[in-house]
Amino acid sequence: MIHVENLTKSFADLRRGSVPALDGVSFDVYPGEIFGLLGPNGAGKTTCLRILSTVLKPTSGIATVAGYEASTHPAEVRARIGFMSGNTGIYDRMTAWEMVEYFGRLYGIEEKALQARLHDIFTTLQMHDIKDTLGSKMSTGMKQKVSIARTIVHDPPVLIFDEPTSGLDVLVARAVLKAIEALRDEGKCIIFSTHIMREVEKLCDRIAIIHHGRILAAGTVPELETVYDEPDMEELFFDLISRHDAALAAAAESA
Amino acid sequence: MNWKNVKLILLREIRDQLRDRRTLFMVAILPLLLYPAMGIGMVSMMTIFSEQSRTVVVLGTEHLPEQPKLLRGDRFVRNWFRITTDASKLHVVTDLAPKTSNAQNADTNADIKQRSAILKSARAIRKQVEARDALEQKLDTIRERWQFEHKERTKDEWRALAKRMKPTETRLETVNEELGKLFSSSDIQVLIIVPDEFGANIEALTLRLSKRDSEAANEIEYQRLTIVQNSADEKSMIAYRPIHEAIDEWETKILEERLISAKLPASMTRPVNQHRVDLAKSDQLAANLWSKLFPTLLVIMAVTGAFYPAVDLAAGEKERGTMETLLICPATRAEIVLGKFFTVMLFSFSTALLNLGSMGFTGKYMASIGGAGTLSKLGDLSFPPLQSLMWVIILLIPLAALFSALCLSLATFARSSKEGQYYLTPLLMVTMGLTVFCLSPGVEIRPFYSVMPVVGPALLLKELLASPGSTKALIYAIPVLITSVGYSLLALWWAIDQFNREDVLFREAERFDPGLWIRHLLRDKESTPSFAEAGFCFGLIMFMQFGAMRFFKEAFDRGLGMDKILLIQQLVIIATPALLMGLILTTNFRRTLRLYLPSWRMLGVAALLPCMLHPLTLEMMAVLQKWFFLPLPESMTKQLATMANPDRPLWMVLLVFAAAPALCEEIAFRGFILSGFSRSKRVWLAVGLSALTFGIMHMIPQQVFYASLLGLVIGLIAVRSNSLLPCILFHFVFNSLDVMRRRFGDSLVVDGTRDWLFTLEEGGLRFQWGALTICALVAIVLLRWLINHSANPTTAVTRLTDHATDRTADVLPGATEKPSVGAH
Repeated sequence: MIHVENLTKSFADLRRGSVPALDGVSFDVYPGEIFGLLGPNGAGKTTCLRILSTVLKPTSGIATVAGYEASTHPAEVRARIGFMSGNTGIYDRMTAWEMVEYFGRLYGIEEKALQARLHDIFTTLQMHDIKDTLGSKMSTGMKQKVSIARTIVHDPPVLIFDEPTSGLDVLVARAVLKAIEALRDEGKCIIFSTHIMREVEKLCDRIAIIHHGRILAAGTVPELETVYDEPDMEELFFDLISRHDAALAAAAESA
Repeated sequence: MNWKNVKLILLREIRDQLRDRRTLFMVAILPLLLYPAMGIGMVSMMTIFSEQSRTVVVLGTEHLPEQPKLLRGDRFVRNWFRITTDASKLHVVTDLAPKTSNAQNADTNADIKQRSAILKSARAIRKQVEARDALEQKLDTIRERWQFEHKERTKDEWRALAKRMKPTETRLETVNEELGKLFSSSDIQVLIIVPDEFGANIEALTLRLSKRDSEAANEIEYQRLTIVQNSADEKSMIAYRPIHEAIDEWETKILEERLISAKLPASMTRPVNQHRVDLAKSDQLAANLWSKLFPTLLVIMAVTGAFYPAVDLAAGEKERGTMETLLICPATRAEIVLGKFFTVMLFSFSTALLNLGSMGFTGKYMASIGGAGTLSKLGDLSFPPLQSLMWVIILLIPLAALFSALCLSLATFARSSKEGQYYLTPLLMVTMGLTVFCLSPGVEIRPFYSVMPVVGPALLLKELLASPGSTKALIYAIPVLITSVGYSLLALWWAIDQFNREDVLFREAERFDPGLWIRHLLRDKESTPSFAEAGFCFGLIMFMQFGAMRFFKEAFDRGLGMDKILLIQQLVIIATPALLMGLILTTNFRRTLRLYLPSWRMLGVAALLPCMLHPLTLEMMAVLQKWFFLPLPESMTKQLATMANPDRPLWMVLLVFAAAPALCEEIAFRGFILSGFSRSKRVWLAVGLSALTFGIMHMIPQQVFYASLLGLVIGLIAVRSNSLLPCILFHFVFNSLDVMRRRFGDSLVVDGTRDWLFTLEEGGLRFQWGALTICALVAIVLLRWLINHSANPTTAVTRLTDHATDRTADVLPGATEKPSVGAH
């Protein structure tokens, strides 16, 4: 459902000239699985996910989501995805219900169906008590719930989460992860970026480790552990990163 | 374009803004409260100011003539004043001994003390005035005697005169300063000094006139009535004006009585006695006021009313972190921008109307309670008629639209709300400048002004308010409205473009480091210039042109020939910046300036096309000059005369007016600037912008217009041939034709046989329908060939990539593009 092939994205930076945020990234995500994009800060996770959500345009390469190419059919892609990140906030002066309703309408859901759907979502996520609370008056956990509701209001086949638990306490984070798991069980195609190992171990069916815009390794957790002969994900991760950095340094020296 | 989405976004934004109590207050409540509050404040301040009584001191009161009476007790006689209440505001202190008998004159001790203090200072002032008069008289005598003695003045004699006058002048200065100090430290606003025997002298002369004896013609010399005041001091000036009028009236009465007693007709002093017939109706005067006030206010209110919502909706959305939420919803960028645009426009519109309405009602109320006094001078300030108000509302729409779109673009560009607000000041200054221009007397709506962005609607409104229902103004309504809508659409297009740019939406705050930036410019050089560099080159050229104007004028006055000046202008101001920037900022100089060889066919077209376009352009400009453009400035006509002057050698004229511009302007505009603008990957945008900049460079409106049009054609040639040479050739041929026409045009019209081709008229050779039709047909053929032509693979690739980014082509990669190379 998500097909990424040789995706490249460069930014022009005043200091460093042209900076490649993504450098030839390729992977696939299938329905009914959670794909984890694992990497340190600045690895290119957010850039990759923003390209998938059509917010950014790639410099080169192909990104196909739900059967449509992101750079040529952005509107069709957006109608079929749900995107949540640290930067997708909620409106201060709208209530929870209004917010989700607004986006539901933008997604073109017919009014009666929309009301029924809202009711369902608010029940599932236990949001009825904050139905009429304004965004500015909500706690972080409540805001997260509203964001999730907004993300799934139109029942998209593809879901994209960019560090969904960042800044959340244990309980709220757990609830979020539980929700994501439930969505996977419904058969959604989910891609999920993080730098927290526990989430990776508990949730992800397959992962890709990304660093400096390149995929260093990809596969299921047991596969990777076998290949790199390292049972601890965290150690595996650090190994790969440091090996990559060392190789870079050596190449720079010899050049 | 899904209008349902636009409507959804619009309604949400409006509801959001209305829920913001602060916005609501500022937009709705504040105008309704502010203007009445200001009005009340102003009225109370003015009444306080005007109610204060002014002190006038009269010395030598006993010498005033008995009849007609100027003073009565401690006030002036009311009849001498135009506005009778002025008399009661002037408190007169005379040096007459007060009558002690009646109760009315019973002053308290404090009053008596104050009175004597005032009189004391008055007398001191009088002494100084007398001293000053004496000194001035002395200076006058010295001057007169000297002029009589010395008929021819040498420098030494001037100096001797100055030396002789110096001590008196110094003493005069001291006296003046003393006088000023005394006057300002006293509580006197105006001091009237009646000389001794003043009244007696007047009566004596009147008596003599009535007797008509032989001495009647002799003047009786007596001192004049002196009035001391300080026009720089507001209080003194306000007191002086009615007194001056009153004394003039009093003088007229004295003269009347003198004439009557001398049995002379009253009209003796006024043989002409002009009678003024003023056609102005009171509501016309009011309309005049509204016609100046409303356009200004409308523009200011529309700008400020649009600005803050725009900043909140664009930059504010970025700051609050909801921008990305909006960007991932199905609505397209255009739909988002439109929704926001309509929101901003609604606020701009409402703010302007609410402010204007509140101001209008307050103003009218204030005028009605003003009654007597300054406000009464406004007359009966009637509201503009309903028809005019309707026009105010109609013309507010394009103004609000234009400003909303502009503000939204600027706000999207800003990284934060704070930065966005900084953009308000320059925008406000530019619009204020345009509005002030509109308010200047004598500036009225004209075909040329009606198509300018803010000026058109403002002038139209001015005209409609000054003379409601005038058909003259209504004729202009159509071009004004159409062009205003056009400009708003352009601005809106720019806003949508901004919203589509990643670097604008996700702009991070960066520390601006000039060193770093320069290093970046030089290190990250690309083969061709960037869009911004092209724009900068144009700006630099305009700036240098502006700055060099003074030098050129000086050089011209000093005798450097016009042709040398023009040459310098071309080489230094136009060609050099483009060449330098091309060398420094790009890696592929050849590609930047398109220094390739074209095909022979292209050269042929480039040589033939100007011959066809020249007559067409000439005739078109002649028509437009008559009813659209303002007359040419003098400097231009001088230049044109130089061209036609048969004394100058032909090669020289061709060099200055054809070769140099062809070379230099093409290097700049179709070379560097077009290459820069071509980075936008939209061919028509690049050609259009380069043509527009080329036109604007010429500065004079007529030239701007046709240069822009020609620039489109030359730009097309540049893009299709990917070579600068045909452009230079076209430009050279076109300009040479003009020179030739002026020099040798008359020799073509030998006899009347070729009348259907050309005729000789006042301005020189002119073309008739025959010639024009031939030229038009050939030109159309050539242009069609150009449009369909693509010379080499480079051009073809450019067109292919244009298609790829513009169209939403097939989904699957590897789908074949429709072949676009070759003729359609």
